[in-house]
Amino acid sequence: MKMEEMSLSGLDNSKLEAIAQEIYTDLVEDSCLGFCFEVHRAVKCGYFFLDDTDPESMKDFEIVDQPGLDIFGQVFNQWKSKECVCPNCSRSIAASRFAPHLEKCLGMGRNSSRIANRRIANSNNMNKSESDQEDNDDINDNDWSYGSEKKAKKRKSDKNPNSPRRSKSLKHKNGELSNSDPFKYNSSSGISYEALGPEELRSLLTTQCGVISEHTKKMCTRSLRCPQHTDEQRRAVRVYFLGPSAILPEVESSLDNDSFDMTDSQSLISRLQWDGSSDLSPSDSGSSKTSENQGWGLGTNSSESRKTKKKKSHLSLVGTASSLGSNKKKKPKPPAPPTPSIYDDIN
Amino acid sequence: MNKDAQMRAAINQKLIETGERERLKELLRAKLIECGWKDQLKAHCKEVIKEKGLDHVTVDDLVAEITSKGRALVPDSVKKELLQRIRTFLAQHASL
Repeated sequence: MKMEEMSLSGLDNSKLEAIAQEIYTDLVEDSCLGFCFEVHRAVKCGYFFLDDTDPESMKDFEIVDQPGLDIFGQVFNQWKSKECVCPNCSRSIAASRFAPHLEKCLGMGRNSSRIANRRIANSNNMNKSESDQEDNDDINDNDWSYGSEKKAKKRKSDKNPNSPRRSKSLKHKNGELSNSDPFKYNSSSGISYEALGPEELRSLLTTQCGVISEHTKKMCTRSLRCPQHTDEQRRAVRVYFLGPSAILPEVESSLDNDSFDMTDSQSLISRLQWDGSSDLSPSDSGSSKTSENQGWGLGTNSSESRKTKKKKSHLSLVGTASSLGSNKKKKPKPPAPPTPSIYDDIN
Repeated sequence: MNKDAQMRAAINQKLIETGERERLKELLRAKLIECGWKDQLKAHCKEVIKEKGLDHVTVDDLVAEITSKGRALVPDSVKKELLQRIRTFLAQHASL
């Protein structure tokens, strides 16, 4: 047969279609036959029924299609609400929090050793300025209870351990706070003032900012120069606690004398309104001046009065070295009469 | 009629030579597994075999039982696609 005779174009469509159908049928029958051979071989070799299970097991593993369950029939949030009892401390803990709790409770695991090391470092810091053995023990005991763990953690998160500020504020606190009840120092960075007696309050206010936060109703425990609060706020707090004749922190420390009263400050106010003269008399206590400055928010002056001997040299640079000498008998702290003027200029 | 027979023979020959037949076969097999045809047929086989008894099954029995059912069970989509491909092939090789 020649290829030309085999031309399909001569055929009409129905025949083409018939041929196509035939080809298709052939293919399908081939597949069926192939399948039959497979089955027959499986039967004869004995593995045809292997993938069957008994109907009972089939029912066990049937796909579950109910609301609230997955296809295995398990409830979704089941383990969230379950509570386990800790074998160490016998508290019931939520299942999802159980592993971290156990880590802390048993004192094993990476985090707990880190926290323990930190606590040791902290207690070493505190021990340096501590003289009272009893308080020491109390604080150490605190470390092992749960509440103080959280306390220590929160304190950590509040203040960066590496910042230079931290050591400064710690010194202040340790000087004062350790004498007062350490338990009253709670985990927020403030003190609840209701629990403190007047003497404690006073001593606190001499070293700390003390401004009461509106949200937490607690006193700020940062230093007297804490940037979050203005001097005006600090003054208001002291007036509130200690009465209208409240002595402001710089004056109130034991180094200061107590000859200060408000009349002096009145005169000082007028004097502080700088009019270019540089011969402000230093006999009026410099620190009382600084108290006024607080009212005006010149925060730098308070630092002047507080740092006792260092600032003397600084002040001498200002040009009133002569006037400083007369003040010595009154107070060890150097007065800062000229400094407000200097700073006014700068401002 | 001879021409028809010759025609068909020639076409088949062409199919095999170009390898199109194998390709079509594979395609069909894959499609049948996909659509579940094979599983259906297997279930039917099981019933037949359980009836007949495992030891007395012969190839002829199976073939007789299965091919008719199998042909009926092929879904329409598969059938149409396969026919389409065959027609395309025929059209391509019309001049040959």
